Amino acid sequence: MATVHLQADHRRFTGGEKTLQVDGSTVGDLITELERRYPGLGPLLTDGASVAINGELIPNGIFEKVDASTEVYFVAPISGG
Amino acid sequence: MTVTENPRTYKYVGTRPVRHDGLDKVTGKARFAADLDMTGQLRAALVRSPHAHARIVSIDTSKAEAMPGVKAVVTGADFADLDPTHPEFDMAVNLMARDEALYNGHVVAAVAAVTAAQAAAAAAAVEVDYEPLPAVLTIDEAIAEGAPIANPTNRTLFSGDTEPSNLASVNEFGRGDVEAGFEAADIILEREFRTVAVHQGYIEPHACVADCGQDGKATIWASSQGHFAVRSKTAAALGWSTDRIKVIPAEIGGGFGGKTTIYLEPVAVLLSQKAARPVKLVMSREEVLRATGPAPATKITAKMGATNDGEITTLQSTMYFDNGSTKGFSALTGAMSVASYKLPNLELHAIGTVTNTARSAAYRAPSAPQAAFAVETLIDELAQQLGVDPIDLRLQNAVVEGDVTAMSMPHPKIGFVETLEAIKNSDHYNSPVPQGAGRGVATGFWFNIGEQSSATVNLNEDGTATVVTGSPDIGGSRASMALMAAEELGLAVDRITPIVADTESVGFTDITEGSRATFATGMAVVNACRELIEQLKQRAATIKSVDVEQVEWVDGAAVIEGQDPLTIPEITAMAKNTGGPLTATASLNAAGAGPSFAVHVADVAVDEETGETTILRYTAAQDAGTAIHPSYVEGQIQGGSVQGIGWALNEEYIYDSDGVMENASFLDYRMPVASDLPMIDAIIVEVPNPSHPYGVRGVGETGIVPPIPTLANAIAAATGVRMTALPMSPPRLLAAITESAGS
Repeated sequence: MATVHLQADHRRFTGGEKTLQVDGSTVGDLITELERRYPGLGPLLTDGASVAINGELIPNGIFEKVDASTEVYFVAPISGG
Repeated sequence: MTVTENPRTYKYVGTRPVRHDGLDKVTGKARFAADLDMTGQLRAALVRSPHAHARIVSIDTSKAEAMPGVKAVVTGADFADLDPTHPEFDMAVNLMARDEALYNGHVVAAVAAVTAAQAAAAAAAVEVDYEPLPAVLTIDEAIAEGAPIANPTNRTLFSGDTEPSNLASVNEFGRGDVEAGFEAADIILEREFRTVAVHQGYIEPHACVADCGQDGKATIWASSQGHFAVRSKTAAALGWSTDRIKVIPAEIGGGFGGKTTIYLEPVAVLLSQKAARPVKLVMSREEVLRATGPAPATKITAKMGATNDGEITTLQSTMYFDNGSTKGFSALTGAMSVASYKLPNLELHAIGTVTNTARSAAYRAPSAPQAAFAVETLIDELAQQLGVDPIDLRLQNAVVEGDVTAMSMPHPKIGFVETLEAIKNSDHYNSPVPQGAGRGVATGFWFNIGEQSSATVNLNEDGTATVVTGSPDIGGSRASMALMAAEELGLAVDRITPIVADTESVGFTDITEGSRATFATGMAVVNACRELIEQLKQRAATIKSVDVEQVEWVDGAAVIEGQDPLTIPEITAMAKNTGGPLTATASLNAAGAGPSFAVHVADVAVDEETGETTILRYTAAQDAGTAIHPSYVEGQIQGGSVQGIGWALNEEYIYDSDGVMENASFLDYRMPVASDLPMIDAIIVEVPNPSHPYGVRGVGETGIVPPIPTLANAIAAATGVRMTALPMSPPRLLAAITESAGS
């Protein structure tokens, strides 16, 4: 069970909850579980967010392993110029 | 000048060799896309909409097709139909209009002919029947109640809305309680800021050559920031598989984010396919300015609260960013770039709009300069009202490792405090402000990114090396790759040749964007070199008939106790006897990009009779993590500063009431030139990024963030007039000074 931090934007799906404990062994599992709990949130996390794990930005990180000590941040997509 | 806490000393990293591509560049031998000519090549011309918004009723190409030399004509009907939800839909429609022309300059047809003059004449003969539609040209028009829809395919991102909208995205970031923050504040400042669209201003217009063969495959020579992206985007626009397209990177004459997307390649490929001949397509400067990615115009309101002892208690802001004709993330990145101060209470509303102007594109730290203009201006006013040093106020509120960004994510190890201190301790900041001048300070932040990169390192039979990557070199990255390879292998940097290979000759590599090439592709080079060293040790063990565990790699040689060291040339000379060529490849998805901060200080004099601003002195400090090639780091700092100065003082898209850009040339679109500028003194701060083997953060973008507020703050100090709209050009500044004097 990892700790998931959501942006203000995502909280309309979670009733205002910004930090959640979510089951799963990968980031993808967490997204699946969050979509199950809060229908409509999943696409935002898959297509509209970057992932940071323990403070480190992980591009394309859907298969990154997570565990009970992992802090996962779904943040807005970041690219650059 | 370098201020470092880098504890390691390197033999090659941190030195300043002549860049490997330098001689070709200065002698004119380097080949850019427009320099390429193929046997039997045709020239192409584009037909562009004269309307800012119009329905395309019909296109008659018969007269054009009958003209001398014309070999092919294409329109939107020749392109793949993509679903509007396809991630490349907007790119594909932007390069060739379908049902509607969405801005003045939108391409509606293309012609290929034997000569450029014949192509231009035939393009003029293409008959397009337009039904003009109401055009939306500004943020205010886009958000007005009852506004016409600028682009009927736009739906607000992730809103679930099914109706067309002029809102590209609506997002919110925040933490804490902003109202409580205002209640705790002794001083509350609130202003509205406006910026206009500006162009990246790369010296090389977009250009490509496409050659489509009878096997249905196409080869493209293109100037871009990412030739793998050119391949995938071209494939998407045409509905092709990527194996049908090979992209060979030409030298690039500047990109700054503007060449992270494509405009020409699918058009050239289709024309080539139809004509069965190579096709060359080159934009004019006017086309570049009218129809390729400006940075978004913005409208930002910001309200900040602080206590009398200088603690910033809260920030509330609404940021509108205009994406131009299609959706995009510009507003999100602008809001997310508010990351330099602790801000316990924060509420940011980020709203992207869609208008009938050219589709915006990334520009060096996309959206951060506009957001910094607002935040850094308010902080300067706060320092002024509190009567404290503006750097001390920033130091008091500066983020450090563990403090959270606007996205609520904690900062990793960062060097913001060190960068502030570098300016505070600089000769410039400790020199008196010249008589009659004003001094301004501001800071900037950029995330930097990782993403996917590949590298191959080949050792040649004489012990020289070739470093092959897939990152187009837009800022000296080839030299950086060679330096890191030199450090790893212990091989002199002039014995290493770094090259950028085509899409079939190196592993997939993402775009050179987000200041990622030296960080991410550099890591791939380092990993490949380390794999190569293991091979070299094995070969040395074979040559000396010892176990590989007895071999160490020290300063470019295999060292075995009691024996003479074996150098790389000695090992590669025997490669054929010990297992064959020595080569190693590494690919990765780079995590751990290190955020970067910059702090700038400027002294300006303002002629209060003309409104002209003269920059007397300018110093820029930036945390590079580790400067692999300090000259190019300084160049990036200076280049970003100059682009920001142009954005601040002169550059602007000027549209008439019909949405036609009135200043689409470098004569009228006023970019700074050398005679406008003092020397930009660059201070490299080195707080190494622990997630990179050499501590690299990436340096390409952050330097453009501080100049706008730095100059606005300096102008305020010089004149007493607080500018909140760009550009701060002579007529605008003179009007503000006159108004201020009148009031």
